[in-house]
Amino acid sequence: MPQISINTKRERFKLIFFISTLLLAFIGLAAMPRVSIPLLLGYVIFLIVYPAVPTLEKLGINRVGSIWIVFSALIFFSIYPFVKVVPTVTAEIENVQYFLPKIEKYVTKKYEELRIEVREKTSFEIGDKYFFQALDWIRKTSTNILLNIPKILASLLEWIFFIPLIIFFLLKDGKKFKRGILKLTPNSIFERFYFLSHQFNKKLGDYIFAKFVEASIVGITITSGLLILNVRFALLFGLIAAITNIIPYVGPVIGFIPGLLFSLAEYGPGTTLGAVIMLFVVANAIDIAIVFPILVSKVVDLHPLTVVVSVILGSQWLGMVGMIISIPFAAALKLIAQEVYKEIYQE
Amino acid sequence: MSYEDEINQDILNSKKLPEKLEISVLRYFWQSNPLIGKKTDSIPRFLRKIDVLSNFSENELRILAKYLHLRKFQPGEVIFKQGELGVGFYLLYNGYADIIVENTEGTDEVKPSSKHILTLEKSDYFGELALLQEISIRNASAVSRQGCELLGLFKPDLEELINHYPVIAAKLLQSISLIVANRLFSLTREVQELKYKLSSYEKDQDASN
Repeated sequence: MPQISINTKRERFKLIFFISTLLLAFIGLAAMPRVSIPLLLGYVIFLIVYPAVPTLEKLGINRVGSIWIVFSALIFFSIYPFVKVVPTVTAEIENVQYFLPKIEKYVTKKYEELRIEVREKTSFEIGDKYFFQALDWIRKTSTNILLNIPKILASLLEWIFFIPLIIFFLLKDGKKFKRGILKLTPNSIFERFYFLSHQFNKKLGDYIFAKFVEASIVGITITSGLLILNVRFALLFGLIAAITNIIPYVGPVIGFIPGLLFSLAEYGPGTTLGAVIMLFVVANAIDIAIVFPILVSKVVDLHPLTVVVSVILGSQWLGMVGMIISIPFAAALKLIAQEVYKEIYQE
Repeated sequence: MSYEDEINQDILNSKKLPEKLEISVLRYFWQSNPLIGKKTDSIPRFLRKIDVLSNFSENELRILAKYLHLRKFQPGEVIFKQGELGVGFYLLYNGYADIIVENTEGTDEVKPSSKHILTLEKSDYFGELALLQEISIRNASAVSRQGCELLGLFKPDLEELINHYPVIAAKLLQSISLIVANRLFSLTREVQELKYKLSSYEKDQDASN
């Protein structure tokens, strides 16, 4: 009678080789952010546009043709924002530096008033050491950001050439890459690995698509609201709110601060400020009450604590990009952990 | 006279053969034969011979072949284990596979044991329920005997087929339903037979009491 036994030595060797290859790939990506960040971005955009390929194929266009159509559409629709939005945003950012002293002056004045008031009422002198330190830090960081804009634009230029290349080859050869990895997968974990990676990819795709839609809704709401209120830098504040919205919990608050500070300094505590606050509250209420439950929460079911911890760890690892990718990454880890748990505790 | 005939003649005349056959020449003529295709071409040809896939056209088989994964197993290597979660349907491309049922619910007297159910050979298939069930637990283990090559189709492939080639996916699901229906039919027969046997056995028991 045949005995059930794993061909241990060879299989174990294959397993070790496979896992170490995967680990090396991850370590390599983590160690080279200049390559891995555009790679990740390219992959994210690929996941957003990929569902269009089978749809076109169903219409009778062959695979290469539909890839070219999707790719050309992507290039076409991303050139317009680049040509139109980037100069506007750059001009707005450059204008911001003229408004920064104004905001600073306003904050200092308010602080001085508060100090005098406190001294008169309680005869207690508030030290201004920390205040000026904080102000100094803010001034330095914002100047730093402004001075770094050319550098960011330079890397953006690098990305403009690199990312479309990645997307194109992912569309064209993505299947071959997948096949290559699957060929390397040892028999003993093949079914599980294939199914898990497929599930994870699907989850990631859904999550990114949901987040993309959510951020667009928030960004458009805030930009159009600010335009109606006739607040300056409407496009810039809308863009900031959209991008920071991707970060859970803290994102909407971070996105709110620049707009709040600016309108406080520019228009003072009045109806405009109230309207701006209302606008941000309403936009986030729409997001939290309608968009999030419908789109995002179904995709990832992580404990809020897990979300916060992974965002903090992500920000430490890769900065802004880390904060954005931390949630799908945590979801992947959870998927793997669940599988390992089942494996250990079922028997 | 051809090279082959020449050598045959030499063997018949019990002449001494050249120490080194002209392998490179032979290989050249063998490989230049236009009828010898690459191995990937032979998967659709293999699929053509399978009964349940007879409703597929040649082109559809060629596309289906692109979605199959060729997996090689060493002698005695486990393909899947009983009780594990399964996501794959397998066709035997080459070699033999044993289907084994393990009796895991062993009491103190009866130790857990494994029972060899049947041996599958080329162009047999197994694991079709994994493609249809939401969560599919393998009913038996499959072990490669003397090494085998399998063509696997997994749940993600089926999903992709449904999205990219709905007609082929529908035909494939039809074929799989055919397999399942056949198995269900023979199973129902077996159950009926067993029920009949059981009732007659009970009658015998009653009569003897």
